Order: sequence, then structure tokens, then C-alpha cells
Amino acid sequence: MTDLAQDRLRLAVAAVMAAAALLWWATAGFFGHELIAQVAIFAIFAMSLDLLVGTAGMVSLGHAAFFGAGAYATAGLTVLLGWPAWLALPASMVVAGLLAVVVGAFAVRLAGVFFIMITLAIGEMVHAYLFRSRTFGGDDGLGGIPRPDLGALGLTLDDPSHFSLAVLTLALLVYLGLRQVVGSPFGQVLAGIHRNEARMRALGCPVRHYKLAAFTLAGAIAGLAGSLAAQHNNFISPELVTWTTSGEALIVVIVGGMGTLVGPVAGAAAVILAGHYLSGLTEYWMFFMGLMFVAVVLIAGDGLQGALERLARRFGRAAG
Amino acid sequence: MLRAEGLDKSFGALHVARDVSLHLAPGVRHALIGPNGAGKTTLFDLLCGMVAADAGRVWLDGADVTAASADQRARAGLARSFQRNNLFADMTVAANLATAIVLAQGHGPVFWKGLRRLSGVAAAVAEIAALVGVDGVMNQPADTLAYGMQRQLEIGLALALAPKVLLLDEPTSGMSPDETAAMQRLIGGLPPTMAVLVIEHDMDVVFDFADRITVLDYGTVLFEGTPGEVRQSEAVRRRYLGAEA
Ligand SMILES: Nc1ncnc2c1ncn2[C@@H]1O[C@H](COP(=O)(O)OP(=O)(O)OP(=O)(O)O)[C@@H](O)[C@H]1O
Ligand SMILES: [Mg+2]
Repeated sequence: MTDLAQDRLRLAVAAVMAAAALLWWATAGFFGHELIAQVAIFAIFAMSLDLLVGTAGMVSLGHAAFFGAGAYATAGLTVLLGWPAWLALPASMVVAGLLAVVVGAFAVRLAGVFFIMITLAIGEMVHAYLFRSRTFGGDDGLGGIPRPDLGALGLTLDDPSHFSLAVLTLALLVYLGLRQVVGSPFGQVLAGIHRNEARMRALGCPVRHYKLAAFTLAGAIAGLAGSLAAQHNNFISPELVTWTTSGEALIVVIVGGMGTLVGPVAGAAAVILAGHYLSGLTEYWMFFMGLMFVAVVLIAGDGLQGALERLARRFGRAAG
Repeated sequence: MLRAEGLDKSFGALHVARDVSLHLAPGVRHALIGPNGAGKTTLFDLLCGMVAADAGRVWLDGADVTAASADQRARAGLARSFQRNNLFADMTVAANLATAIVLAQGHGPVFWKGLRRLSGVAAAVAEIAALVGVDGVMNQPADTLAYGMQRQLEIGLALALAPKVLLLDEPTSGMSPDETAAMQRLIGGLPPTMAVLVIEHDMDVVFDFADRITVLDYGTVLFEGTPGEVRQSEAVRRRYLGAEA
């Protein structure tokens, strides 16, 4: 399979998932719409982590810090400062992006396990700060976060049906945007850094600059997901920023297929849906999910999308 | 084009470069020879800034690059290939070359355009691929290529930078006689303004292409001169050409 064929296959998978999501949205009721919004938000978060982990090869265990930064910025700007929610949304991305610049300036100097450890440590620091912060309600969190007023467009975002469609649209835009980035010269450089940093330096690449750019972009998009989560729940708490949030997203990226974008989206959907439906059936649903993940990784080390692409390659050879 | 003076480097007790000086004029075809472990590869690392020298200075095209990092030196026109293939293993040949070309042409920061839409990149990729003879395997992952082909791609990555100074570390090692001959033709056909320094063990290859030869031994420059002078040199004959001459 050529690079072009692989790219087309991913686009086709994305189209199928988008169509499935729309169909689901059209037929869903109140509860389905709530679930769709949850899936779309987690998918945005997972895609942002995939850019970092899958494309640039920077395994972070602290990505929830930027998710949290977006959520808390939205809460702070709307509830505490009275900003309109539509303005708080992009501002939250900027806040998360700025935090990522500061964190990244230190973190990108480290590689491998040291990078994982510093991202984990910084994530925990952010959590500890929010847990104690009086301004943001400490461990009780903060409620009353509004959603943007899009009445002018004929949308009532307080209605789960409209909100979920808006979030779904944003997820699609994030996918298209990140797909563009991954397929750009910039994305090619990140892929090169992922595979062979020393060779990239020998080819004249200022590796740290590129890593910082990727870290910042991923942070800003995680901030978008965080802002949407705050709006969706009307509520924030330090719970959003725990390292398990980061870890869950990392698992989703690995199980879905690193660097494919569509894989992590599928993984995000699977986790949210399984969490929802399995938890009704058994108390031990987390255990069964874990088993499923282990099975996927053992059978397909390159994740679900990776397995699909290997299958396509085999068919391609058989046909050609 | 490239000048080094008084380069010194020790790894612990091992003194691998002792007061090494080297001068490459524009367009020169310069060979670096010496026994295994003489410090040839380490000298490349020092010239490229991949290993920090303990002492000494390096100038590239008149500018002092002693304090410059490896990537800065590469951007200033110094490219190298590696003794052990150092590729983007699971990327296709085309993607390997495109990665180098993107950097060479300065498109790295461009995130808003598709890589495939940059016709300048595609053209340069095709050109380099044809030059080093990997144009028949463009869609194969680099790590699935035969060893000789990987070697050619390795050279292609360095050439993709269109450097002013090219350092090749044993380009023909592990190649078949045919592939070696093709590599000799390739080196012979490089732009006449490019300064080329080649580490090479095969003396036939060396005497075929080199204008000048530097002989390195235990980290010291044992001899430097034209191929004719090297053939005459008693010291080189004793230390290095001993068995053959
Ligand atoms: N990073 C390092 N740390 C410690 N020792 C090193 C390092 N790099 C090289 N050496 C040692 O320095 C000496 C010179 O190595 P170098 O690779 O430069 O030799 P060479 O002339 O290229 O040899 P060959 O012909 O085998 O490639 C060797 O003894 C090697 O083991
Ligand atoms: Mg060597």
C-alpha cells in the first residue's frame, strides 16, 4: 500500500465514522445526544494527544493538564469574570496553548522516560494547584458554566440536540485540521523526529523548536476539548485533571492506532460507549475493558487502524 | 570551504583526535583513510558538531561554526552520511527523501499546505532518487530494502541537502562491485563546486577519485598529500598500505 492509498483509507474510515455519528445523532433522544457530546469531546482530546504521541513521538502522561486548563479557563472567564461563553472558548485555547509553551519549554529538552516523567509531574502539579485553589472552588469545583448563545444562528445550545451537533461539528473540524497538519511538510518533519531525531539534526532540523510547536498545538486543542467539557457539564472540578484522564487518552491512542487520528477517534468512542453500556451490565466493566485493550495490543501492536491497514495491504497484494 | 584546526577529543582515557587539522578547498575530492578505530568517524562527528570537541576550531565557508550545533552546521551547508545506515526505517523511500528535501528547501514550518501539493519537493525527490538509483523502489519502506539500496538511500539523504561540503562515511561498505562502481560514478558526477570528504577503505576507489588524501592513525594526521605522494610515503606504506604495497 502506498502512502497515498493509506491516506485514502484513513479518509474513508473518517467518512464512515462521521456518517455513523450523524445517523446516530438524527435518531438519538436526550440521552443519546448527551452521549454523543461526550464522545465528540473525548475524541477531540484523543486526537490532540495523537498529534503529540502518534505523529511527533512524544509520549505524554500529563496531557490532562491542558484539558483542565481549557476547562478552568472557561469557568474562570465566564463565571468569575462574566465573559460571554463564545469568547471564552477561543480564549481557553489560548490559555491552554500558553501553558503548553511554558511547560514545553522545559519538557522538550527531555526524551523518552524523562519526558513521560516530567509531563506526569507537571500534570500532578496542575491538579494539586486546582485542588487547593479557593478561587476555583478547590476540590468542590465550580458550577454554573454557560454555553455560548448562538440564538442568532437559530441554535439553542442548552438543548442537548443542538449542543451535541455543534460539538460533533467541531470534532470534525479538528479532525480535518489535524489531518491537514499531519499531511503537511510540518507533519512530515514531526514524523521524521519521531523516527530518528539524530538524523533530523544532521539534516538541519532544529528539533526542539518543532517539538515545542507540536506540544503547543496539542495543548491548545486539548484546551478546546476542556472548554467544551466545562460547557457540557456546566461544571468543573479537579477530577478533570487527574493523571488517569491522561492515561485513559493515551490508552485510547495506542489501542486505536497511533498517528492515524481516525484510530484514536474510534478508540474514544469505544471507551465512552463501553463505559456507558458495560457499566450497566457488570460492576467489573473496567476489568473487561482492560482485558479487551490487552487483547487488541497483543493481537495488533499497531492498534485497530494499524490492523485494518495491514489487512488492506494484504488484500492489495492479493489483488495486484 | 571547510577548515578545522587543532581538533582534540578524548573519550575517557582514549584519545581519538589529537590536534587534527584539515582543509577542504571548494570542489575538492578528498579521501580520509586509516585503520579501524583510527578516529575517522569521530572526526566526522567533530566536524558536524554531533560530538563536542575538547579543543580546536571549525570554519565553514569562512564562518566560525565551532559553537554552532549540528543542525545549524547542516543548515549552513555541511551534510554527512553515516557509516551505519541511519534512515527513517519504516517510512517509504519517497518519504525518507521528502523529509530531507522539506528541510533543505525550508518548508518545515509550513503546516497549512499538503506535502503532496508542493511540486518543488516532488521534483527534488525524483531527482535525488534517480541520482542515487532508488527510483525503482520509491514506495517500499526503507527497512525492507536490500542493504546496498539502503546504502544508496543513506547517501541520497545527505545529497538532498544540496550541501556545500559533503562528508561520506564509507559509502561503498557492504556494496557489491557493481554498486561500488555506481557509487564511484556518482561521486565523480557530483557538482564541481561541492567539497567532498570520503572515508573509504578500498584503496582502488580512493586512488580513483581522490585529489587529496589524509591518513589518520591513532587520532593523529599521519600524512596529507596527493595520491601520488601518499603512494611514495614511507610512513604510510609502513603503517597502512603495508600488506598491499
Ligand atoms: N561515543 C564514544 N564513546 C567512547 N568511545 C568511542 C565513542 N565513539 C567512538 N569511540 C572509540 O573511538 C575510537 C575511534 O572510533 P571511530 O569510530 O572514530 O573509528 P573509525 O576510524 O571510524 O573506525 P572504523 O574504520 O572501524 O569505522 C574507537 O576505539 C571507538 O571505540
Ligand atoms: Mg568509522
